[in-house]
Amino acid sequence: MSFHYGQGYGGPGNNYPQQHPPPGAPYGAGPSPGGPAGGQYGGSAPPGGAPYGGATAPPPGGHYGGGAAPGAPYGSYGPPGAGGQYGPGAGGAPGGPGAPYGGYGQPHGTPYGHHPHGNVPPGVNPEAQQWFQSVDTDRSGYINLKELKQALVNSNNSSFNDETCLMMLNMFDKTKTGRMDLFGFSALWTFLQQWRALFQQFDRDRSGSINSNEMHQALSQLGYNLSPQFIQTLVNRFSPRGRQGAMYLDRFIHVCTQLASMTEAFREKDTARSGNVKMNYEDFLSGAITRLM
Amino acid sequence: MAYHNQYRPPYNSAPPDQGFLWNIFQRVDKDRSGAISDSELQQALSNGTWTPFNPVTVRSIIAMFDRENKGGVNFNEFAGVWKYITDWQNIFRTYDRDNSGFIDKNELKQALTGFGYRLSDQFYNTLIEKFDRQRKGQVAFDDFIQCCIVLQRLTDVFRRYDTDQDGWIQVSYEQYLSMVFNVV
Repeated sequence: MSFHYGQGYGGPGNNYPQQHPPPGAPYGAGPSPGGPAGGQYGGSAPPGGAPYGGATAPPPGGHYGGGAAPGAPYGSYGPPGAGGQYGPGAGGAPGGPGAPYGGYGQPHGTPYGHHPHGNVPPGVNPEAQQWFQSVDTDRSGYINLKELKQALVNSNNSSFNDETCLMMLNMFDKTKTGRMDLFGFSALWTFLQQWRALFQQFDRDRSGSINSNEMHQALSQLGYNLSPQFIQTLVNRFSPRGRQGAMYLDRFIHVCTQLASMTEAFREKDTARSGNVKMNYEDFLSGAITRLM
Repeated sequence: MAYHNQYRPPYNSAPPDQGFLWNIFQRVDKDRSGAISDSELQQALSNGTWTPFNPVTVRSIIAMFDRENKGGVNFNEFAGVWKYITDWQNIFRTYDRDNSGFIDKNELKQALTGFGYRLSDQFYNTLIEKFDRQRKGQVAFDDFIQCCIVLQRLTDVFRRYDTDQDGWIQVSYEQYLSMVFNVV
Protein backbone atom coordinates (compact mmCIF):
# COMPACT_ATOMS: atom_id res chain seq x y z
CA MET A 1 0.00 0.00 0.00
CA SER A 2 1.57 3.22 -1.04
CA PHE A 3 1.39 6.19 1.15
CA HIS A 4 -0.59 8.95 -0.38
CA TYR A 5 -1.86 11.41 2.04
CA GLY A 6 -0.30 14.75 2.08
CA GLN A 7 1.71 14.20 -1.03
CA GLY A 8 -0.32 16.62 -2.96
CA TYR A 9 0.07 19.28 -0.30
CA GLY A 10 3.17 20.57 -1.97
CA GLY A 11 1.82 20.25 -5.46
CA PRO A 12 1.54 22.85 -8.15
CA GLY A 13 -0.57 25.85 -7.50
CA ASN A 14 0.30 25.90 -3.86
CA ASN A 15 0.30 29.52 -2.91
CA TYR A 16 -0.22 29.17 0.81
CA PRO A 17 3.05 27.98 2.14
CA GLN A 18 2.36 28.48 5.82
CA GLN A 19 -0.30 25.89 6.15
CA HIS A 20 1.16 23.08 4.11
CA PRO A 21 4.62 21.63 4.23
CA PRO A 22 6.91 22.58 1.40
CA PRO A 23 7.25 20.34 -1.64
CA GLY A 24 9.41 17.34 -1.08
CA ALA A 25 8.54 17.09 2.57
CA PRO A 26 5.06 15.64 2.58
CA TYR A 27 4.55 16.36 6.20
CA GLY A 28 6.19 16.30 9.52
CA ALA A 29 9.38 17.97 8.44
CA GLY A 30 10.12 20.58 10.99
CA PRO A 31 7.94 21.47 13.90
CA SER A 32 4.24 21.23 13.33
CA PRO A 33 2.50 24.57 13.57
CA GLY A 34 0.12 23.05 16.03
CA GLY A 35 2.66 22.77 18.77
CA PRO A 36 4.40 19.81 20.28
CA ALA A 37 3.22 16.32 19.64
CA GLY A 38 0.75 15.06 22.15
CA GLY A 39 -0.17 18.54 23.17
CA GLN A 40 -3.66 18.45 21.85
CA TYR A 41 -5.11 18.57 25.30
CA GLY A 42 -3.31 21.61 26.46
CA GLY A 43 -0.48 21.18 28.86
CA SER A 44 -1.71 18.10 30.57
CA ALA A 45 0.14 15.54 28.49
CA PRO A 46 3.19 14.39 30.40
CA PRO A 47 6.54 15.14 28.83
CA GLY A 48 8.33 12.50 26.86
CA GLY A 49 7.21 10.32 24.02
CA ALA A 50 4.38 8.57 25.77
CA PRO A 51 1.49 10.96 25.84
CA TYR A 52 -0.52 9.05 28.34
CA GLY A 53 1.80 7.74 30.95
CA GLY A 54 0.74 4.27 31.78
CA ALA A 55 -0.74 3.62 28.41
CA THR A 56 2.38 2.11 26.94
CA ALA A 57 2.43 -0.92 29.16
CA PRO A 58 -0.80 -2.79 28.74
CA PRO A 59 -2.42 -3.58 32.03
CA PRO A 60 -2.81 -7.20 32.94
CA GLY A 61 -5.98 -8.91 31.98
CA GLY A 62 -8.41 -7.04 29.82
CA HIS A 63 -6.55 -4.35 27.96
CA TYR A 64 -9.48 -2.13 27.52
CA GLY A 65 -13.00 -1.74 28.52
CA GLY A 66 -15.44 -4.50 28.28
CA GLY A 67 -12.97 -7.30 27.82
CA ALA A 68 -13.84 -8.94 31.05
CA ALA A 69 -17.12 -7.35 31.84
CA PRO A 70 -20.12 -9.56 31.29
CA GLY A 71 -23.01 -8.67 29.14
CA ALA A 72 -21.52 -6.34 26.54
CA PRO A 73 -21.44 -3.17 28.57
CA TYR A 74 -21.72 -0.87 25.63
CA GLY A 75 -23.57 -3.02 23.18
CA SER A 76 -25.84 -0.72 21.31
CA TYR A 77 -24.50 2.64 22.43
CA GLY A 78 -26.98 2.55 25.19
CA PRO A 79 -26.19 2.73 28.81
CA PRO A 80 -25.29 -0.58 30.38
CA GLY A 81 -28.21 -2.88 30.55
CA ALA A 82 -30.16 -0.76 28.16
CA GLY A 83 -30.73 -3.61 25.77
CA GLY A 84 -33.21 -3.03 23.04
CA GLN A 85 -33.88 0.61 23.61
CA TYR A 86 -34.99 0.91 20.04
CA GLY A 87 -37.54 -1.81 20.06
CA PRO A 88 -41.11 -1.40 20.97
CA GLY A 89 -42.05 -3.03 24.20
CA ALA A 90 -38.63 -2.61 25.70
CA GLY A 91 -40.39 -2.92 28.97
CA GLY A 92 -40.80 0.77 29.33
CA ALA A 93 -38.42 2.85 31.30
CA PRO A 94 -36.86 1.49 34.42
CA GLY A 95 -38.77 4.21 36.05
CA GLY A 96 -37.77 5.98 39.16
CA PRO A 97 -40.53 6.96 41.47
CA GLY A 98 -42.79 9.74 40.40
CA ALA A 99 -42.11 11.72 37.27
CA PRO A 100 -38.58 10.71 36.39
CA TYR A 101 -38.10 13.55 33.99
CA GLY A 102 -38.94 16.41 36.22
CA GLY A 103 -35.66 18.06 35.51
CA TYR A 104 -36.09 17.97 31.76
CA GLY A 105 -38.70 20.57 31.51
CA GLN A 106 -41.68 18.62 30.32
CA PRO A 107 -44.83 19.95 31.79
CA HIS A 108 -46.92 18.08 34.21
CA GLY A 109 -50.39 17.31 33.10
CA THR A 110 -51.56 16.88 29.56
CA PRO A 111 -50.55 19.74 27.32
CA TYR A 112 -53.16 18.97 24.72
CA GLY A 113 -56.43 18.61 26.49
CA HIS A 114 -58.17 17.01 23.59
CA HIS A 115 -55.66 14.19 23.35
CA PRO A 116 -56.96 11.33 25.39
CA HIS A 117 -54.23 9.76 27.39
CA GLY A 118 -54.91 6.28 26.10
CA ASN A 119 -54.11 7.26 22.52
CA VAL A 120 -50.51 6.13 22.61
CA PRO A 121 -49.09 4.21 19.63
CA PRO A 122 -47.66 0.80 20.46
CA GLY A 123 -44.04 0.92 21.52
CA VAL A 124 -44.26 4.52 22.65
CA ASN A 125 -43.93 5.37 26.28
CA PRO A 126 -46.96 7.46 27.38
CA GLU A 127 -44.78 9.85 29.32
CA ALA A 128 -42.52 10.25 26.32
CA GLN A 129 -45.53 11.06 24.19
CA GLN A 130 -46.63 13.71 26.62
CA TRP A 131 -43.18 15.22 26.64
CA PHE A 132 -43.03 15.05 22.83
CA GLN A 133 -46.08 17.25 22.54
CA SER A 134 -44.54 19.97 24.63
CA VAL A 135 -41.13 19.76 22.97
CA ASP A 136 -42.59 19.89 19.46
CA THR A 137 -43.17 23.62 19.72
CA ASP A 138 -43.87 24.14 16.03
CA ARG A 139 -46.30 21.17 16.10
CA SER A 140 -44.73 19.64 13.03
CA GLY A 141 -44.96 16.15 14.43
CA TYR A 142 -41.17 15.98 14.51
CA ILE A 143 -38.48 17.13 16.90
CA ASN A 144 -35.63 19.01 15.27
CA LEU A 145 -32.28 20.01 16.73
CA LYS A 146 -33.48 23.37 17.97
CA GLU A 147 -36.50 21.93 19.74
CA LEU A 148 -34.40 19.20 21.29
CA LYS A 149 -31.84 21.67 22.57
CA GLN A 150 -34.52 23.85 24.10
CA ALA A 151 -35.99 20.90 25.93
CA LEU A 152 -32.86 19.60 27.63
CA VAL A 153 -31.09 21.20 30.54
CA ASN A 154 -28.27 20.23 32.85
CA SER A 155 -28.33 20.45 36.63
CA ASN A 156 -26.79 23.94 36.45
CA ASN A 157 -29.61 25.05 34.14
CA SER A 158 -27.36 25.26 31.09
CA SER A 159 -28.93 23.85 27.98
CA PHE A 160 -27.46 20.72 26.45
CA ASN A 161 -24.57 21.45 24.10
CA ASP A 162 -25.01 21.14 20.35
CA GLU A 163 -22.68 18.19 19.90
CA THR A 164 -24.61 16.03 22.35
CA CYS A 165 -27.97 17.06 20.90
CA LEU A 166 -26.81 16.40 17.37
CA MET A 167 -25.34 13.06 18.38
CA MET A 168 -28.60 11.97 19.98
CA LEU A 169 -30.61 13.26 17.06
CA ASN A 170 -28.49 11.19 14.69
CA MET A 171 -28.85 8.14 16.91
CA PHE A 172 -32.61 8.29 17.16
CA ASP A 173 -33.52 9.82 13.82
CA LYS A 174 -34.91 6.73 12.22
CA THR A 175 -36.58 8.83 9.54
CA LYS A 176 -33.12 9.91 8.29
CA THR A 177 -34.36 13.44 7.84
CA GLY A 178 -32.46 15.19 10.58
CA ARG A 179 -35.38 15.09 12.97
CA MET A 180 -37.10 12.58 15.20
CA ASP A 181 -40.58 11.19 15.00
CA LEU A 182 -42.50 10.08 18.07
CA PHE A 183 -41.01 6.58 18.00
CA GLY A 184 -37.44 7.81 17.84
CA PHE A 185 -38.20 10.33 20.51
CA SER A 186 -39.65 7.70 22.80
CA ALA A 187 -36.46 5.66 22.41
CA LEU A 188 -34.43 8.77 23.18
CA TRP A 189 -36.54 9.36 26.26
CA THR A 190 -35.67 5.93 27.61
CA PHE A 191 -32.02 6.44 26.69
CA LEU A 192 -31.87 9.78 28.50
CA GLN A 193 -33.61 8.45 31.54
CA GLN A 194 -31.16 5.60 31.88
CA TRP A 195 -28.15 7.86 31.47
CA ARG A 196 -29.57 10.30 33.95
CA ALA A 197 -30.01 7.55 36.53
CA LEU A 198 -26.41 6.46 35.98
CA PHE A 199 -25.17 10.01 36.19
CA GLN A 200 -26.88 10.49 39.53
CA GLN A 201 -25.52 7.21 40.77
CA PHE A 202 -21.95 8.19 39.84
CA ASP A 203 -22.28 11.73 41.14
CA ARG A 204 -21.45 10.52 44.62
CA ASP A 205 -21.06 13.91 46.24
CA ARG A 206 -24.38 15.07 44.73
CA SER A 207 -22.75 18.13 43.25
CA GLY A 208 -24.74 17.88 40.04
CA SER A 209 -21.58 17.25 38.05
CA ILE A 210 -19.03 14.48 37.67
CA ASN A 211 -15.41 15.11 38.59
CA SER A 212 -12.50 13.01 37.40
CA ASN A 213 -12.52 10.75 40.47
CA GLU A 214 -16.18 10.03 39.97
CA MET A 215 -15.62 9.55 36.27
CA HIS A 216 -12.84 7.09 37.00
CA GLN A 217 -15.15 5.03 39.18
CA ALA A 218 -17.93 5.30 36.64
CA LEU A 219 -15.79 4.12 33.77
CA SER A 220 -14.31 1.21 35.72
CA GLN A 221 -17.79 0.18 36.68
CA LEU A 222 -18.78 0.34 33.03
CA GLY A 223 -15.91 -2.01 32.26
CA TYR A 224 -13.24 0.37 30.97
CA ASN A 225 -9.64 0.11 31.99
CA LEU A 226 -8.32 3.64 31.57
CA SER A 227 -5.58 5.50 33.38
CA PRO A 228 -6.46 8.31 35.81
CA GLN A 229 -4.43 10.73 33.68
CA PHE A 230 -6.43 9.90 30.59
CA ILE A 231 -9.71 10.32 32.42
CA GLN A 232 -8.66 13.59 33.96
CA THR A 233 -7.73 14.94 30.54
CA LEU A 234 -11.06 13.79 29.21
CA VAL A 235 -13.05 15.40 32.02
CA ASN A 236 -11.13 18.67 31.75
CA ARG A 237 -11.61 18.77 28.03
CA PHE A 238 -15.37 18.34 28.33
CA SER A 239 -15.95 20.64 31.27
CA PRO A 240 -17.77 23.89 30.68
CA ARG A 241 -15.88 27.16 30.61
CA GLY A 242 -15.02 28.34 34.06
CA ARG A 243 -15.78 24.97 35.68
CA GLN A 244 -12.68 22.97 34.98
CA GLY A 245 -12.95 19.36 36.10
CA ALA A 246 -16.74 19.15 36.28
CA MET A 247 -18.69 17.33 33.62
CA TYR A 248 -22.43 17.83 33.34
CA LEU A 249 -25.01 15.35 32.14
CA ASP A 250 -24.84 16.38 28.46
CA ARG A 251 -21.10 15.83 28.24
CA PHE A 252 -21.28 12.70 30.34
CA ILE A 253 -23.68 11.17 27.82
CA HIS A 254 -21.62 12.47 24.93
CA VAL A 255 -18.30 11.19 26.26
CA CYS A 256 -19.61 7.79 27.37
CA THR A 257 -21.39 7.20 24.08
CA GLN A 258 -18.39 8.20 22.00
CA LEU A 259 -16.10 6.17 24.21
CA ALA A 260 -18.22 3.08 23.65
CA SER A 261 -18.25 3.68 19.94
CA MET A 262 -14.52 4.36 19.66
CA THR A 263 -13.74 1.35 21.82
CA GLU A 264 -15.75 -0.76 19.44
CA ALA A 265 -13.76 0.66 16.53
CA PHE A 266 -10.52 -0.20 18.31
CA ARG A 267 -11.65 -3.70 19.15
CA GLU A 268 -12.54 -4.34 15.55
CA LYS A 269 -8.92 -3.69 14.64
CA ASP A 270 -7.42 -5.36 17.68
CA THR A 271 -8.32 -8.88 16.68
CA ALA A 272 -5.53 -10.40 18.78
CA ARG A 273 -6.77 -8.48 21.85
CA SER A 274 -3.25 -7.24 22.50
CA GLY A 275 -4.27 -3.70 23.37
CA ASN A 276 -2.27 -2.40 20.43
CA VAL A 277 -3.31 -1.93 16.84
CA LYS A 278 -1.56 -1.19 13.61
CA MET A 279 -3.55 0.75 11.07
CA ASN A 280 -3.01 2.77 7.95
CA TYR A 281 -4.16 6.29 7.26
CA GLU A 282 -7.42 5.55 5.54
CA ASP A 283 -8.35 2.83 8.02
CA PHE A 284 -7.82 5.32 10.79
CA LEU A 285 -9.88 8.00 9.06
CA SER A 286 -12.77 5.79 8.16
CA GLY A 287 -12.81 4.09 11.57
CA ALA A 288 -13.04 7.44 13.31
CA ILE A 289 -15.43 9.09 10.87
CA THR A 290 -17.80 6.14 10.65
CA ARG A 291 -18.06 6.08 14.42
CA LEU A 292 -18.38 9.79 14.76
CA MET A 293 -21.92 10.69 15.72
CA MET B 1 -5.80 26.91 21.68
CA ALA B 2 -6.07 28.71 18.41
CA TYR B 3 -5.85 26.54 15.37
CA HIS B 4 -6.19 29.20 12.78
CA ASN B 5 -2.75 28.89 11.23
CA GLN B 6 -2.96 25.21 10.94
CA TYR B 7 -6.48 24.90 9.71
CA ARG B 8 -6.81 27.58 7.15
CA PRO B 9 -8.73 26.66 4.05
CA PRO B 10 -6.53 26.18 1.03
CA TYR B 11 -7.53 29.48 -0.49
CA ASN B 12 -6.24 32.91 0.23
CA SER B 13 -8.40 35.94 -0.33
CA ALA B 14 -7.40 39.54 0.23
CA PRO B 15 -8.39 40.83 3.67
CA PRO B 16 -11.55 42.94 3.57
CA ASP B 17 -11.75 46.60 4.45
CA GLN B 18 -11.82 47.24 8.22
CA GLY B 19 -14.78 49.59 8.06
CA PHE B 20 -16.76 47.03 6.11
CA LEU B 21 -15.92 44.37 8.69
CA TRP B 22 -16.77 46.63 11.60
CA ASN B 23 -20.22 47.21 10.14
CA ILE B 24 -20.79 43.50 9.86
CA PHE B 25 -19.42 42.85 13.32
CA GLN B 26 -21.81 45.33 14.88
CA ARG B 27 -24.77 43.83 13.10
CA VAL B 28 -23.87 40.28 14.10
CA ASP B 29 -23.08 41.19 17.71
CA LYS B 30 -26.74 41.59 18.54
CA ASP B 31 -26.38 41.91 22.30
CA ARG B 32 -23.58 44.48 21.87
CA SER B 33 -21.31 42.51 24.16
CA GLY B 34 -18.24 43.16 22.05
CA ALA B 35 -17.94 39.47 21.24
CA ILE B 36 -19.83 37.30 18.80
CA SER B 37 -21.16 34.12 20.36
CA ASP B 38 -21.95 30.78 18.73
CA SER B 39 -25.62 31.58 18.40
CA GLU B 40 -25.01 35.09 17.07
CA LEU B 41 -22.69 33.74 14.43
CA GLN B 42 -25.05 30.91 13.57
CA GLN B 43 -27.91 33.32 12.98
CA ALA B 44 -25.75 35.46 10.75
CA LEU B 45 -24.48 32.65 8.56
CA SER B 46 -26.24 31.10 5.63
CA ASN B 47 -25.45 27.75 4.11
CA GLY B 48 -27.38 28.70 1.00
CA THR B 49 -30.14 26.15 1.52
CA TRP B 50 -32.58 27.94 3.85
CA THR B 51 -31.77 25.63 6.73
CA PRO B 52 -29.97 26.70 9.92
CA PHE B 53 -26.19 26.68 9.66
CA ASN B 54 -24.68 23.55 11.23
CA PRO B 55 -24.16 24.53 14.90
CA VAL B 56 -21.25 22.14 15.25
CA THR B 57 -19.46 23.87 12.37
CA VAL B 58 -20.12 27.20 14.07
CA ARG B 59 -18.68 25.87 17.33
CA SER B 60 -15.60 24.52 15.53
CA ILE B 61 -14.97 27.87 13.85
CA ILE B 62 -15.43 29.95 17.00
CA ALA B 63 -13.12 27.61 18.92
CA MET B 64 -10.43 28.08 16.28
CA PHE B 65 -10.32 31.85 16.62
CA ASP B 66 -11.36 32.38 20.24
CA ARG B 67 -7.95 32.85 21.80
CA GLU B 68 -8.91 33.29 25.43
CA ASN B 69 -11.56 30.58 25.48
CA LYS B 70 -14.20 33.20 26.27
CA GLY B 71 -16.91 31.53 24.21
CA GLY B 72 -16.94 34.07 21.41
CA VAL B 73 -14.80 36.17 19.10
CA ASN B 74 -13.93 39.85 19.46
CA PHE B 75 -13.55 42.18 16.51
CA ASN B 76 -9.94 41.30 15.79
CA GLU B 77 -10.68 37.61 15.92
CA PHE B 78 -13.79 38.11 13.84
CA ALA B 79 -11.63 39.32 10.96
CA GLY B 80 -10.08 35.84 10.97
CA VAL B 81 -13.49 34.17 11.15
CA TRP B 82 -14.76 36.25 8.25
CA LYS B 83 -11.78 35.43 6.09
CA TYR B 84 -11.95 31.77 7.03
CA ILE B 85 -15.59 31.45 5.99
CA THR B 86 -15.13 33.55 2.85
CA ASP B 87 -12.21 31.42 1.77
CA TRP B 88 -14.21 28.25 2.24
CA GLN B 89 -17.10 29.81 0.38
CA ASN B 90 -14.89 30.59 -2.58
CA ILE B 91 -13.64 27.03 -2.63
CA PHE B 92 -17.12 25.62 -2.31
CA ARG B 93 -18.41 27.73 -5.19
CA THR B 94 -15.65 26.48 -7.43
CA TYR B 95 -16.88 22.94 -6.97
CA ASP B 96 -20.61 23.60 -6.76
CA ARG B 97 -20.80 24.25 -10.48
CA ASP B 98 -24.56 24.27 -10.78
CA ASN B 99 -24.90 26.63 -7.81
CA SER B 100 -27.26 24.23 -6.08
CA GLY B 101 -25.79 24.86 -2.64
CA PHE B 102 -24.68 21.25 -2.51
CA ILE B 103 -21.73 19.32 -3.82
CA ASP B 104 -22.03 15.70 -4.79
CA LYS B 105 -19.59 12.88 -4.31
CA ASN B 106 -17.61 13.59 -7.46
CA GLU B 107 -17.32 17.27 -6.65
CA LEU B 108 -16.26 16.46 -3.11
CA LYS B 109 -13.66 14.12 -4.51
CA GLN B 110 -12.34 16.80 -6.84
CA ALA B 111 -12.20 19.31 -4.00
CA LEU B 112 -10.39 17.07 -1.54
CA THR B 113 -8.07 15.72 -4.22
CA GLY B 114 -7.26 19.33 -5.00
CA PHE B 115 -6.34 19.84 -1.34
CA GLY B 116 -3.91 16.94 -1.56
CA TYR B 117 -5.92 14.07 -0.13
CA ARG B 118 -5.67 10.71 -1.85
CA LEU B 119 -8.61 8.68 -0.68
CA SER B 120 -10.45 5.67 -2.04
CA ASP B 121 -13.79 5.84 -3.76
CA GLN B 122 -15.35 3.89 -0.94
CA PHE B 123 -14.08 6.39 1.57
CA TYR B 124 -15.96 9.15 -0.26
CA ASN B 125 -19.15 7.20 0.26
CA THR B 126 -18.40 7.22 3.98
CA LEU B 127 -17.79 10.96 3.92
CA ILE B 128 -21.00 11.73 2.04
CA GLU B 129 -22.99 9.50 4.35
CA LYS B 130 -21.52 11.13 7.44
CA PHE B 131 -21.57 14.78 6.45
CA ASP B 132 -24.77 14.84 4.47
CA ARG B 133 -26.76 16.35 7.33
CA GLN B 134 -29.74 17.14 5.14
CA ARG B 135 -29.87 13.59 3.77
CA LYS B 136 -29.77 14.55 0.14
CA GLY B 137 -26.87 12.37 -0.90
CA GLN B 138 -24.85 15.57 -1.24
CA VAL B 139 -23.04 17.90 1.12
CA ALA B 140 -24.09 21.49 1.88
CA PHE B 141 -21.63 24.33 2.50
CA ASP B 142 -21.67 24.22 6.31
CA ASP B 143 -21.28 20.45 6.39
CA PHE B 144 -18.51 20.66 3.80
CA ILE B 145 -16.53 22.93 6.13
CA GLN B 146 -17.11 20.51 9.00
CA CYS B 147 -16.00 17.59 6.84
CA CYS B 148 -12.78 19.41 5.96
CA ILE B 149 -12.13 20.38 9.59
CA VAL B 150 -12.57 16.79 10.77
CA LEU B 151 -10.33 15.45 8.01
CA GLN B 152 -7.66 18.00 8.79
CA ARG B 153 -7.72 17.25 12.50
CA LEU B 154 -7.59 13.51 12.00
CA THR B 155 -4.82 13.81 9.43
CA ASP B 156 -2.89 16.06 11.73
CA VAL B 157 -3.13 13.71 14.69
CA PHE B 158 -2.27 10.74 12.49
CA ARG B 159 0.87 12.50 11.33
CA ARG B 160 1.97 13.07 14.88
CA TYR B 161 1.92 9.35 15.54
CA ASP B 162 3.25 8.32 12.13
CA THR B 163 6.76 9.37 13.01
CA ASP B 164 8.43 7.35 10.24
CA GLN B 165 5.92 8.67 7.72
CA ASP B 166 5.08 5.35 6.14
CA GLY B 167 1.32 5.80 6.39
CA TRP B 168 0.97 3.27 9.19
CA ILE B 169 0.73 3.77 12.92
CA GLN B 170 0.81 1.43 15.86
CA VAL B 171 -1.07 2.72 18.85
CA SER B 172 -2.35 1.51 22.19
CA TYR B 173 -5.99 1.70 23.19
CA GLU B 174 -5.59 4.94 25.14
CA GLN B 175 -3.50 6.51 22.43
CA TYR B 176 -6.18 5.64 19.91
CA LEU B 177 -8.89 7.14 22.10
CA SER B 178 -6.96 10.33 22.62
CA MET B 179 -6.48 10.60 18.86
CA VAL B 180 -10.13 10.25 17.99
CA PHE B 181 -11.40 12.37 20.87
CA ASN B 182 -9.68 15.18 19.01
CA VAL B 183 -12.60 15.34 16.64
CA VAL B 184 -15.42 14.57 19.06
